[in-house]
Amino acid sequence: MTAARTPAKTPVLAAAPDDRHAGRVAASVLSAVLPYLVAVVAAFVVAGVIIAALGHDPFVAFRSVLTTSFATPFGVVETFTKWVPLTLMALAFAIPLGAGRFNIGGEGQLILGATAATAVGITLSDLPMPLLLPLVLIAGIIGGGVWAGIAAALMARFRINEILSTVLLNFVSFQVLDYIASEVWPDVGAGFPATVKVGDGAMLPTVGKPALHIGVFLTAAVVVVVAMLMRRSVPGFELRAVGINERAAKVHGIRTSRVAVGAVVVGGMVAGLSGAIEVTGVHGNLLEGIQSNYLLLGIIIGLIARGSLALVPFVAFGISILEIGASAMQRSAQVPAELVLIVEGLILLFLLLSDVLAARLRTFRSGSRTATTPPVAPASVSTEPAAAGGRR
Amino acid sequence: MTEVTNFLALMVTAMVPYIFAAQGTMLSGRAGIFNVSQEGMLTIGAAVGFLVSLKVGSNGVGLIAAALVGALFGLVLAVVTTYLRLDQFVVGLALFFLALGAASLLYRVVIGVTMSPPLIPLLSKWRIPLLADIPVLGPVLFNQDPMVYLALLGSVALWWFLFRTDAGMRLRSVGENPKAADSLGINVAATRIWAAVAGSALMAVAGAYLPMIYTGTYTDGIAAGRGWLAIALTFFGGWRPQFIVAGAAFFAGMEVLALRAQVAGIGIPHQFVAMLPYVATLLVMVFAFRWARVPAYLGRNYDRESRLVG
Repeated sequence: MTAARTPAKTPVLAAAPDDRHAGRVAASVLSAVLPYLVAVVAAFVVAGVIIAALGHDPFVAFRSVLTTSFATPFGVVETFTKWVPLTLMALAFAIPLGAGRFNIGGEGQLILGATAATAVGITLSDLPMPLLLPLVLIAGIIGGGVWAGIAAALMARFRINEILSTVLLNFVSFQVLDYIASEVWPDVGAGFPATVKVGDGAMLPTVGKPALHIGVFLTAAVVVVVAMLMRRSVPGFELRAVGINERAAKVHGIRTSRVAVGAVVVGGMVAGLSGAIEVTGVHGNLLEGIQSNYLLLGIIIGLIARGSLALVPFVAFGISILEIGASAMQRSAQVPAELVLIVEGLILLFLLLSDVLAARLRTFRSGSRTATTPPVAPASVSTEPAAAGGRR
Repeated sequence: MTEVTNFLALMVTAMVPYIFAAQGTMLSGRAGIFNVSQEGMLTIGAAVGFLVSLKVGSNGVGLIAAALVGALFGLVLAVVTTYLRLDQFVVGLALFFLALGAASLLYRVVIGVTMSPPLIPLLSKWRIPLLADIPVLGPVLFNQDPMVYLALLGSVALWWFLFRTDAGMRLRSVGENPKAADSLGINVAATRIWAAVAGSALMAVAGAYLPMIYTGTYTDGIAAGRGWLAIALTFFGGWRPQFIVAGAAFFAGMEVLALRAQVAGIGIPHQFVAMLPYVATLLVMVFAFRWARVPAYLGRNYDRESRLVG
């Protein structure tokens, strides 16, 4: 806020409007970034106390958390490789969130996407790469979309809360994966449920050394396209309208139920793509545990980004650094890597709290204006009972 | 005959975590706070319950410790949603992550990585004289561990409290129309807070029961979706204690059926049998959501200075 005042005081008249504008931009950037800084620092302080209480040196631990990603070329590649599923899974959560719907089923959608991609990659393994790779990726997108579509249909037709249906479908998907990997195309030598490898033509090309698969660029493209569509297209506008005020959107002729279904399905498609990329870029086959903990991380990233699609890739990069650093921390400082999940949860909680704090400070400064906490999720999420129950 | 009795006895045991978790969800939701951190509460409850039981040597103390830790999480949820009016779903999810992380960190710190994890003794059965001799009903209902009795009697008590006492009616009114409740002098904030605290404590007890009856130890993912199923069960039970118990029988029956079919091998791949509880839940919800009478203010935060009605 101080940044806003200083340039405005400059006596040069001609430059004043520009300066004031710049000052205002600086102030708004500062007020946007400040809660994040506060939240991250506070979470690290708590983590430091826990690490010290466990008898380790917090500073050694933090150094390895924050520097591992940049210390070696391998660290950089590893960080970007992790960034891909984290970003896509965060989008899979954040897109439906824009319409006020909670997609907690990214895990299942990822697995079904990976399953569909693997199925195409194995059965058509003789096809040349320019033909097979797009087919495999499209199969992944469709697989994820169909899986999310089940939940979306139950939501629209029978008013089943999407939090529940998407979560339950996750548990079904684990069994689908197990069946495919141990009965349909099992790799007998693996020792755990895993399929045989997909055809060579299904693998994503890589660049550089150590190799980085081009799914990274694909992901960046997806982020740009989705963010543009959300801001500039009619469906994107309708989706945001439903998220901000479902009843108003309905009154103005938006088919809210159809928009919500579309949002959930698109979220599933993105998660499915993420599954296909894990198969074709990282593992080369479908295996048990391919979903890792990407669902949780995707939700955390989506919530920390406050549902903003443009912020998602940056938050995902930060979390990716934390995740890569955490396993290094376990090796170098003997601090359990499980701590990182606590840190991420704390960042989210402190972010919410610092938002409240910022709002209170603003009210305090501007006197009579009423306090409004900036919404983390669209307004309909917190005010509309349908989000909780079955009366949509 | 013994096969049926056996199945029913296992089902009654499997009901316990569902009952505790769903009654906790219901109690908290009846006051308007929709807790979505069940899965996390079950997991942290299992970790704390196991570790304390192991160190102290008493499962009872382990259960109490788990309840206290659950209550602490519930307190955080209640305070930040009631006083700071943060979004209940977002905070619930944040607490879910915190609880998962805390549970596996606790286990790692106390036990470390071992080839053979230490075990706690499973809960022993309390045979109720005379009643246990009734055919079928006896072994099913009256030769169980104490937590079974606590779950069933507790559900009756909860029903009595919510629908037959003044305090219970006040609690329900807070979840239906807090403005009206406030105007009648009911302390909305205090009611919401203690309901959420008690609710989370019940969820953690549900988690602590798992190592004490099945595994004897804590493992990551021990809750295995029971927390999420408990939310489904709460809707299925129409937010009423008596129907929640009935629903728990269905959920537990599915769970036991899937396990037994897997062991017995009935010709279809075991993965499809393992899907059964989740698919059945989805199908059942198609009907359950028609009759679910949800507390009107569920998941919303009350702002007494707001001019909006309802």
